[in-house]
Amino acid sequence: MSPIAFTLNGRATATAAEPNTLLIDLLRGTLGLTGTHQGCDTAQCGACTVLLDGLAVKSCSVLALQAQGRSVTTVEGLAKADGTLHPVQEAFIACHGLQCGFCTPGMMMAATGLLQHNPRPTEAEVVDALEGNLCRCTGYVNIVAAVQQAATVMAKEAA
Amino acid sequence: MNAPADLAKSANAGMAARFGSGQAVRRVEDPALVQGQGRYTDDVTPAGAVYMRFVRSTSAHGRIVSIDTAGATAMPGVLGVYTGADLEAAGVLPIPAAAGFKRADGKPMSPPIKRALAVDFLRFVGEAIVAVVATTRDGARAAADAVVVEIDALPAVSNAADAVAPGAPQVSPEAPGNVLAEMRHGQPDVVAAAFAAAAHRVTLDLVNQRLAPSTIEPRSVLAYLDDGRLTMRLSTQMPTGQRATLAHCLPGLSLEQVRVVVGDVGGGFGMKTGAYPEDVAVAFAAQQLKLPVKWQADRLEDFLTAVHGRDLLSHAEMALAADGKVLAVRLRSLANVGCYVTGAGVAIQLLIGPWVLTSVYDIPAIDLQISAVLTNTAATGAYRGAGRPEAIYVIERLFDAAAREMQMDAAELRRRNMIRPDQMPYRNPMGQTYDSGQFASLLAQCQTLADYDGFDARRAESQARGKLRGRGLATFLEWTGGMALEEQVQVRVTADGFIELTSATMPMGQGIVTSYVQLAVDVFGVAPDRIRVLQGDTDRANGFGSAGSRSLFTGGAAVAVASNNTIAKAQDLAAEALEASVADIEYREGRFTVAGTDLGIGLFELAQRQAGAVITADGEAKASAPSWPNAAHCCEVEVDPATGTVEIVAYASVSDIGRVVSPVIVKGQVEGGAVQGIGQALCEAVAYDAEGQLLSASYMDYALPRVDGFRGFKTAFDTSIPCLTNGLGVKGVGELGTIGATPATVNAVVDALAHGFDGSGLGREAEKIHMPLTAEVVWRALNRLPTL
Repeated sequence: MSPIAFTLNGRATATAAEPNTLLIDLLRGTLGLTGTHQGCDTAQCGACTVLLDGLAVKSCSVLALQAQGRSVTTVEGLAKADGTLHPVQEAFIACHGLQCGFCTPGMMMAATGLLQHNPRPTEAEVVDALEGNLCRCTGYVNIVAAVQQAATVMAKEAA
Repeated sequence: MNAPADLAKSANAGMAARFGSGQAVRRVEDPALVQGQGRYTDDVTPAGAVYMRFVRSTSAHGRIVSIDTAGATAMPGVLGVYTGADLEAAGVLPIPAAAGFKRADGKPMSPPIKRALAVDFLRFVGEAIVAVVATTRDGARAAADAVVVEIDALPAVSNAADAVAPGAPQVSPEAPGNVLAEMRHGQPDVVAAAFAAAAHRVTLDLVNQRLAPSTIEPRSVLAYLDDGRLTMRLSTQMPTGQRATLAHCLPGLSLEQVRVVVGDVGGGFGMKTGAYPEDVAVAFAAQQLKLPVKWQADRLEDFLTAVHGRDLLSHAEMALAADGKVLAVRLRSLANVGCYVTGAGVAIQLLIGPWVLTSVYDIPAIDLQISAVLTNTAATGAYRGAGRPEAIYVIERLFDAAAREMQMDAAELRRRNMIRPDQMPYRNPMGQTYDSGQFASLLAQCQTLADYDGFDARRAESQARGKLRGRGLATFLEWTGGMALEEQVQVRVTADGFIELTSATMPMGQGIVTSYVQLAVDVFGVAPDRIRVLQGDTDRANGFGSAGSRSLFTGGAAVAVASNNTIAKAQDLAAEALEASVADIEYREGRFTVAGTDLGIGLFELAQRQAGAVITADGEAKASAPSWPNAAHCCEVEVDPATGTVEIVAYASVSDIGRVVSPVIVKGQVEGGAVQGIGQALCEAVAYDAEGQLLSASYMDYALPRVDGFRGFKTAFDTSIPCLTNGLGVKGVGELGTIGATPATVNAVVDALAHGFDGSGLGREAEKIHMPLTAEVVWRALNRLPTL
């Protein structure tokens, strides 16, 4: 076990991990944050997407120790401390952007990563940002609509 | 089962108008799910949990020569290593065999014995041979890798056509020629005479390729002993059936000694309906070790061993009169059902598909012969639509072929053959009776929505950009209900202000909790957050579960009945409490009052005054028949002749699902379902090589639709045609979009290729292409190269 210290959902976190432990396993196992899901074994489905220093990454393809000294945001860190939902969460509910909900945390983290860097994405840019995330329920129709709605809301809030 | 829900609704105008049935509400499931607070099976890890890993067959067919587990057993952290022989010695029974169908010689079908772990023989790649339990997932994986299995490989067969060829490897001695079961329907003589007299005949060889259901949450199991009882936490659509299978297979367990609990289910689509061998192995280990044992399938394991869908080869013929009236349909099909078959996998192809083959059309005569064929592949089973997509694909392809042959408009040919509303109730040649449906009206509405008449101009515009444009229709119905038409709901009104509904139906993403809450709001008139729905616990409720688009028209109907029963019972209690006559008690929005006075008592306060501080009531509903949802789909595609790439450019559908309870949810069901159907049409295929090795074993090889596909659906509902055989007037919706989208999309691509530029296309030759219509398949067809 090697010690690891990083910022997790805004809070300093110190724990330990084996050199071969994946970030997703650290999150779901030791840290008990089960909102991040594993849906495949070839980095294709994106259900495990989290933000690493603000960039959307697949936590099944990152070693836990690579988070050393960095900032990780999971779906549990999207809402404000007072429980107010993030505009992306709000939009996924409002647009019926989820059905079974299993891919949803990864979808929302990929969307949040996009909107942090590109607050006013075109539809094509939304599609490009979600290309690494699979959903079997929604046909993506309402997911893309939700990300566009979240962008509009966040732009208004920022103005 | 009758008017009370509507009467109550008018009395509860406030809440019901905002949150009741028919209103576009936010789903009650969503706040937890968007915050990562879902409780999927693998999210629960009891203290001391240990992990199972399977050693699987690398051969599609073979004899186990030896199994050496010594290396695994000696590894640190390994708690148990089990073989099939170990399980057999301990009294673990095989999973009950599928039954109910016959071989061609009249004997009952006899599929290979399905054990939790293989004994002596191996029949498909991925079959579990050894189960290893260790204190960590990595430890279990390492130990499984240390098991050495020597296999004497035997010749294998993976395709149904190859399997019935003379000299093919035999999958099981109980299925001579690899034909497990056979079924004939209809009147061959009548059909032969109809074909002889027909003005037009069309013939197609069609392939409904094998698909992987691909729930994004893989199968997941946790088993532990709780006070001597076996508790199984599973991702399943059918907890009660799972309990029965586990109690049967595991030694010394009665039904009462098994409890199945289900948390959130990350997609079902039919894949999570029956017990899998892994479930039995996990439960056995928990019994042996007296520790919580977990297993979650890798994606690779789900591709290898979860049920697949479809896989039907069909030779289909249609005979028509000069005016386009269909005289008869003849079908010869081979259904590849794998080796360790599921009951559903056989019934879907031999029975359920045929039930809807004649669909919305008044076709007088059929002659169907379908064989269930064993191969060295994973079992097929239920997958969204389950038999109906295959049958509807066949009939809708035939209609387009006939229209092309007769040079008639595809919509017009369909219209001439549609069952008229005045023919309802209509009994089809398979003996199935439709209660309601206005099929020609739906087609006309869909044509309007799709601007059907403007197609030629759009085709010319596409051609000007160098693209081939095609249009495809599908008009169809489907059977729903899973042959389980009864449901019960228990209601508890508690003093702390909640109304709890308990049901044995299961949520799996379809939003059934929200729909139930809306139906309960209609009756109780309370805010939706006062209503809780409890599901997924065999200690609380037992029943068929959720499959076959049945939950709303059975369980939802029971919610309405149970809610009304609760009000009726509480009305008596209120009369007592208020010392008034029951006839004078009125209920409105959570409160009983004595008519004409200001005397009253709240529903929850009334509960507080009862023994146990609760008011309980039950309700049952029984639909008198399956529901028959139906729809018209119209798809337009553009094909790039340089690359063969297909792009959907327009998609319109009009569905009749009877009364709509949750408008937002049903639109999501139809559109998400359509994308699954488009997946079959354009990109998805489970591929085995001739020796039975699985080639499509990851999402890099199995092409699921991604976000860059078509999303611009025009989706409408005609809610004016209620179902007449259930109390709510609703028809199932879960599978409808999937069933229509596959033929509509393929018909559009065939139309583009057949027409070509300025009518110089392939003509009926285009009908020879097979799904999935990838760029390579289409490009080969355009260049008149051999099909894949």
